[in-house]
Amino acid sequence: MHKLKSNNISRLIGFVVFGIFLLYLSNTIDELRVYQGATVAMYVVAISSIILLTGYSGQVSLGHGALLAVGGYGAALVRNNLHAPVWLSFAAAVLIAALCGALLGVTAARLSGPYLAGTTLALAVGLPSIANQFKFLGGEQGLIFDIGLPPASLGETFSQYKWFFWIAALTALIAMWWLQNLLRSRYGRIWRAVRTQSVAAELAGINVARAKILAFTVSAGLAGLAGALLSMTISTVSPGAFPLSLSFALATGAVLSGVTTLGGVMIGAVTLVAIPEIADALTQRFGASENVINSLPGLMVSGLLIVVVLFVPNGPVEQIRHRRKK
Amino acid sequence: MVQSNRSDTEERNNNPARALDGRKHMIGKNRRKLIAASAVIAAGSMLLAAAPAQAAEQGVTGSTIKLGITIPMTGIASPGYNKIPGAMKAYFNYVNANGGVNGRKINLVVKDDQYIPTLAVAKANELILKDKVFALIGTLGTASTKAISRSAQLSARGIPSLFVNTGFSGFADKKAYPTSFSLLPSYQMEAKVIGKYLDENYAGKKVGLIYQDDDFGVDALNGFKQAGVNFAIKIPYASGSQGVAGVAGTWITKLQAAAPDVVILFGVSSATAAALGNAYAYKYAPKWILGSVGGDATTLAANKVPPAFLAGAKGLSFAPAPSDSSDEYIKMFMEVNATYNKGVTFDNNVVAGMTSAFLAVQAIKSAGANLTRKGLIAAIEKNAASFANPGLTPLGYSATSHVGATGYWIGTYDATGALKPDGGKYTVYTTDSGTGAVVVSTYKRPAMPAKGLPN
Amino acid sequence: MIQLLNTLLIGITAGSIYSLMAIAMVLVWRSTRVVNFAQAGMALLSTYFGYEVIQLTHSYWIALPVAMLAGAVVASAIELIIMRLLLKHSSQGAIASIAPIIATLGLLGLIKSVIGYFWGNQDLSLESPLSNVGFTLGSDTLAISPLKLFIIIAVAFLVLTLSFIFQKTNLGLALRASAYSPEISRLAGIKVDLVRTIGWALAGAAGGAAGMLQTANGTGTLSPDSLEFSLLLAFGFIAAVIGGLDSLVGAVIGALVLGLVLAFVLTYIGGSLVFITAFVLLLVILLIRPGGIISQKAGRRA
Repeated sequence: MHKLKSNNISRLIGFVVFGIFLLYLSNTIDELRVYQGATVAMYVVAISSIILLTGYSGQVSLGHGALLAVGGYGAALVRNNLHAPVWLSFAAAVLIAALCGALLGVTAARLSGPYLAGTTLALAVGLPSIANQFKFLGGEQGLIFDIGLPPASLGETFSQYKWFFWIAALTALIAMWWLQNLLRSRYGRIWRAVRTQSVAAELAGINVARAKILAFTVSAGLAGLAGALLSMTISTVSPGAFPLSLSFALATGAVLSGVTTLGGVMIGAVTLVAIPEIADALTQRFGASENVINSLPGLMVSGLLIVVVLFVPNGPVEQIRHRRKK
Repeated sequence: MVQSNRSDTEERNNNPARALDGRKHMIGKNRRKLIAASAVIAAGSMLLAAAPAQAAEQGVTGSTIKLGITIPMTGIASPGYNKIPGAMKAYFNYVNANGGVNGRKINLVVKDDQYIPTLAVAKANELILKDKVFALIGTLGTASTKAISRSAQLSARGIPSLFVNTGFSGFADKKAYPTSFSLLPSYQMEAKVIGKYLDENYAGKKVGLIYQDDDFGVDALNGFKQAGVNFAIKIPYASGSQGVAGVAGTWITKLQAAAPDVVILFGVSSATAAALGNAYAYKYAPKWILGSVGGDATTLAANKVPPAFLAGAKGLSFAPAPSDSSDEYIKMFMEVNATYNKGVTFDNNVVAGMTSAFLAVQAIKSAGANLTRKGLIAAIEKNAASFANPGLTPLGYSATSHVGATGYWIGTYDATGALKPDGGKYTVYTTDSGTGAVVVSTYKRPAMPAKGLPN
Repeated sequence: MIQLLNTLLIGITAGSIYSLMAIAMVLVWRSTRVVNFAQAGMALLSTYFGYEVIQLTHSYWIALPVAMLAGAVVASAIELIIMRLLLKHSSQGAIASIAPIIATLGLLGLIKSVIGYFWGNQDLSLESPLSNVGFTLGSDTLAISPLKLFIIIAVAFLVLTLSFIFQKTNLGLALRASAYSPEISRLAGIKVDLVRTIGWALAGAAGGAAGMLQTANGTGTLSPDSLEFSLLLAFGFIAAVIGGLDSLVGAVIGALVLGLVLAFVLTYIGGSLVFITAFVLLLVILLIRPGGIISQKAGRRA
């Protein structure tokens, strides 16, 4: 048992070291990259929610964008109406999204594979339009979500984007550390059992439905946190920021990372941010027609996705692990 | 140590779940290494692309000026709008071929934001931080523009956002958006002008309305309320739902049941097209008034609305009609389009793009040879009243207001689907986004500078 | 009164359009246990081929079967090249549930990009073969026109043909058997791979028909980002789920239910509630019957 504890501590140290590295990084790279770093951190949290839900508990969600939206709106409403500090708005985002996740999970537990996919898809399509029904949700132009300027103690020249990055990175680090602990705990094992051998699990005394609902709740909470981070980076929250393509992008990122394990989550996050820019750079370098410029990013993302799913379906991390074992 | 290992092995054999956990112990280190490795790779790629030091006034060199635009080039909101950057580039190329502005050539960098605010902010950041543009121009969509303004801190950085492509009245507020300039009249202004027209021509008649149920539509409702219009029936539609099979048909059945004399179509092109197409199928023909957003005749024709069906409907615009080749600006734009934008049909979108480009050139010219961002903003505020202007309404830019066009002229679609002004000449009605009255404008548009180039 | 009748007719027509997409998805599901999001992309591509045929021959009636054929060919090609690989590499583990969905999503994006490259992002116009002006009943115009009538008849014909194939022919038996238990089917001598390809080909043809009919029924515009196609995919899938993914008749019933409910809600309640209604309807039905309206009664291993 003490072996477990020492492993926990060494993992915590690993996270702290990584955090210090990110701190150093944020002071050396330029502003655009810092902003993209904040986006990567957001994707890390969002993709991890899919990994938990699908890779661990075996439930498919095509509508996690809706849960991000719930988190984003929750954070904005709490901050704007209650003048709450930023960390409290984030906490509110997590709680409200988790609540929705629990509700969704209760329905989802009864549904299998494609039926669940269909329900979550319908949710993703339907939820954003709710914002237009209620005045306090701000409608199409959305609500402001302003986390404020960096504190004066950090100096005059401390850029807003670095502040975004610090908050996002810290949030992602804490969330990932917490999640990794959770996945290594008894809960992680239960979820894995539910996904791979649900009948055996039931016989072994695990309440499969309860486990599934719990997975959905935690996953939704993480998604809500990611949604708050997303709203922070664009300083607003509006229905247009959570389109269906976001839900698909998250599923894509999860597959690119390797949906069964948390280890590769950065790969998916970085790819989602990097590909459009690489496509841009390619078309600019080789000067292409308008058709190509508009089609290339989509082509690259889709092409990469298909290649990965066909040849490295369990993700690069599992692939390496697999090869190591041999 | 040895003992616990053995018990681990035994447990692994007996309990697969525990074995899984045991494996995880061993590979936990590897996982951390992998996280670190992927981070290093990510960081490395970022560092490799780190930017060099900045120039004096960003985006301006002795011979070039860089402008940037983020706009939906693909995605469901893109049809029509994706022609605007091409039209702008065409006009800029024309100016560049004739000496440029104060000796500098204008480059336009175009980014596709697919009408998604997160992408809009990311692309705007690329424009500002990587492409290092001098100013943004023509940002489209209220939500995207708001997100860019706030997140990219346009006002804190002093980056001008010229001629925003949205009718949301908020961007004209200089205090909230000190570096942004509207161009289009607001939806409230448009609604008030329509209200005035109804007062003068359809007093006491029943009026129906189809509108989009978001801020685009709510702005219009406010304007109609100001104008005192009471609707016999109001039909909201969820943005995007006009593409769902059967939806537009229900609008027509509802209209038929309420039987208004006049119906205002205040939606986007696809919604207007769906409404008219279905009305044609139902043989339902009230008097139509088309809002400017959805009123481009070429787009409607492409959407299978027979021009004959459109004939007699009313429409509004603040610029001369694209079919009006007797207008000197339209004629010039047509020539520019034919030379520098080959293959693109000349329609309202092209006119809109070239108008913003023309005004941008005017503004840059008046800011002088020593071009700075502050200077540009000041130049527009001070001199816009005397700018040459393709639009038919006065430009409202001043030290206190960043409002662009302030009104509309009303016309009728003829049998070929072209919008012709009522009475044969442009009678422009101007108003504000507040409680001001709607008045006939006495603005005389200054003559176009020679060859359509800045004087 | 006329409004009620028209609402009913609108619902039925809309439902028949969704049902084509739903049928295509059910076909793929029944023959390969894959949810195929690329269906809309294949339908779009087929419709572009149909557009080219119309440009050449000025005849919609030639273009329609050509589009269906093109759809069948494209679908078979995709099944041969991509789906086989996919099933080989990822039929186990967590990835089995999500990989096909992601792969087909990737395909959808790929197809759209390819279309954008070859045909551009501008709207193209597709002529409708029949008039869409409604029939007259006394002094009122009905919400049914020659075109809409044709669509309903075409859908009914397709459903009957496909159901016949599935229920009464050896091919249909082979299709159902291959999906239910590929190993045993192989042992019984069924060429499972070939049968699967045929299943996809049928779905591709149905999708092509859906694309051509939907475009003709709508505003007649075609573009890679066509709003109508994106919604067709989502609503077609929702209709299939409502009806039960395992039943062709279910697909039609689900689509009709969806179409009618939406039509009535839109007319009598509110115009903004389209998307929310679809979601609520789906939720309600799945809560009562988790397998859709026509779900298999016997316990069946997914």
